[in-house]
Amino acid sequence: MTHRTETGISIKGIRDGLLVTLGDGEYADVLVRLDAELAEKQEFLQGSRIALAVGQRPLQRQQLSEIQQLFARHRLLLWTVLADADDTKTAARELELATRLPGSQTDLDGKQLQTPLPDRQPAPTPIGTGALLLKETLRSGRAVYHEGAIIILGDVNPGAEVIAAGDVIVWGRLRGLVHAGALGDETAVICALDLNPTQLRIADQIAIPPETRRRKSEPEQAVIRDGQITAEAWHSR
Amino acid sequence: MSAKVITVTSGKGGVGKTTISANLATALAMLGKRVVAIDADIGLRNLDVVMGLENRIVYDLVDVVEGRCRLRQAMIKDKRQPELYLIPAAQTRDKMAVSPSDMILVCDQLRPEIDYILIDSPAGIERGFRNAIAPADQVLVVTNPEVSSVRDADRIIGLIEAEEKGPAHLIINRLKPEMVARGDMLSIADVLDILAIPLIGIIPEDENILVSTNQGMPLVMSSTNGVSASQAFRNVALRLTGQDVPFMDFSQKPGLRGWLKNLIGGR
Repeated sequence: MTHRTETGISIKGIRDGLLVTLGDGEYADVLVRLDAELAEKQEFLQGSRIALAVGQRPLQRQQLSEIQQLFARHRLLLWTVLADADDTKTAARELELATRLPGSQTDLDGKQLQTPLPDRQPAPTPIGTGALLLKETLRSGRAVYHEGAIIILGDVNPGAEVIAAGDVIVWGRLRGLVHAGALGDETAVICALDLNPTQLRIADQIAIPPETRRRKSEPEQAVIRDGQITAEAWHSR
Repeated sequence: MSAKVITVTSGKGGVGKTTISANLATALAMLGKRVVAIDADIGLRNLDVVMGLENRIVYDLVDVVEGRCRLRQAMIKDKRQPELYLIPAAQTRDKMAVSPSDMILVCDQLRPEIDYILIDSPAGIERGFRNAIAPADQVLVVTNPEVSSVRDADRIIGLIEAEEKGPAHLIINRLKPEMVARGDMLSIADVLDILAIPLIGIIPEDENILVSTNQGMPLVMSSTNGVSASQAFRNVALRLTGQDVPFMDFSQKPGLRGWLKNLIGGR
């Protein structure tokens, strides 16, 4: 839902709350317009977490603090500031505000994160449509990265990491860490003959198996359901 | 408030550095101190496993150093102690991923908010060891009462003095009083005679250590008192805070009986 008013301020629902974008104009005017906008929609917005996009506009620490207080007066929590200018980012960090949205593939300065390259690993043989097939057990300290699906004929031991842009299939015991859909694909799945991982990640979700989880030695798959990673028995469709 | 940085090292592997780091960090947190434990053993990390925090790792020390996350994001809050945090090592990298000056920087960032920073050093005398002692205000050298680990401790004490991080303090780990009595194990006096540095702890052999390691829960959290490893860890923690705690009595008669009684009936 995007709501743009004649004031040039836009308010948009995002997964972690609301994204407020400041329009153009003098700082003082913008502040007044924002105040009016928030007052008008107070009941509707109340209690939301706010991400504020300021674009190119340079803002001092004191100005950001003013905006933060303005949101607070309307019972809104400013938690992140998305800015292009480095000085504005620095000022935001000084106020202990985040400067990027969770799960975004950029570093703290907004630069694209590099996919870490596998060091000292032999180049694996890609097969089919960009899938990577590994016929071996991955022991502690091994890390495998691939921009597609990964299939492992073997076990994934604790301390090993498998990070894939697509699905991960372990024809063996999964006891280490697997990240499927690492570039943001929430439909990615992780399956294993025995799913008993240290930690699972799909897109930007992270899950730790509950300590009381009963040991099943049947094939299972992990998927995102209702925004959460869920393990379920594997049924062929 | 400014943290004291304490590095636990040994030269030889397998003498109990990680167990001692986990237990001292926990014991200090139980005294109400704000504590951060840092695993400097990049590539062979263990501290997270011993503290039972392995499955919570998202970012690690190398991510901090290479700027992929903020320091706060790599600090894993302990399950049981509210003021205890762990910064884990990376498992898929090696010691060269971090430099001594990186370690100093990380510790300096933590110092204002923390009381104690405990660094678990890797075995050896190379880069990993130099990373671990670079930010140290105090170094604890761990040895077992047997000649090879004492030899390595002696070497490491020399290196610590060369780095002007001395005097190191000694922890004698896995002492078996009955073996000392039979003359089959080096005594505390024998070890001190060779190493000649101040003693800060004597930890008796205790099979509960193995149980607690496998459970991922440091032994100090269980409430054994008397002559036990758990009590010995708590005593070292108190000495680190500046308290004067007398050493446990490991003397044989009637001490042995009491000690055995404690082993059998004490829990």
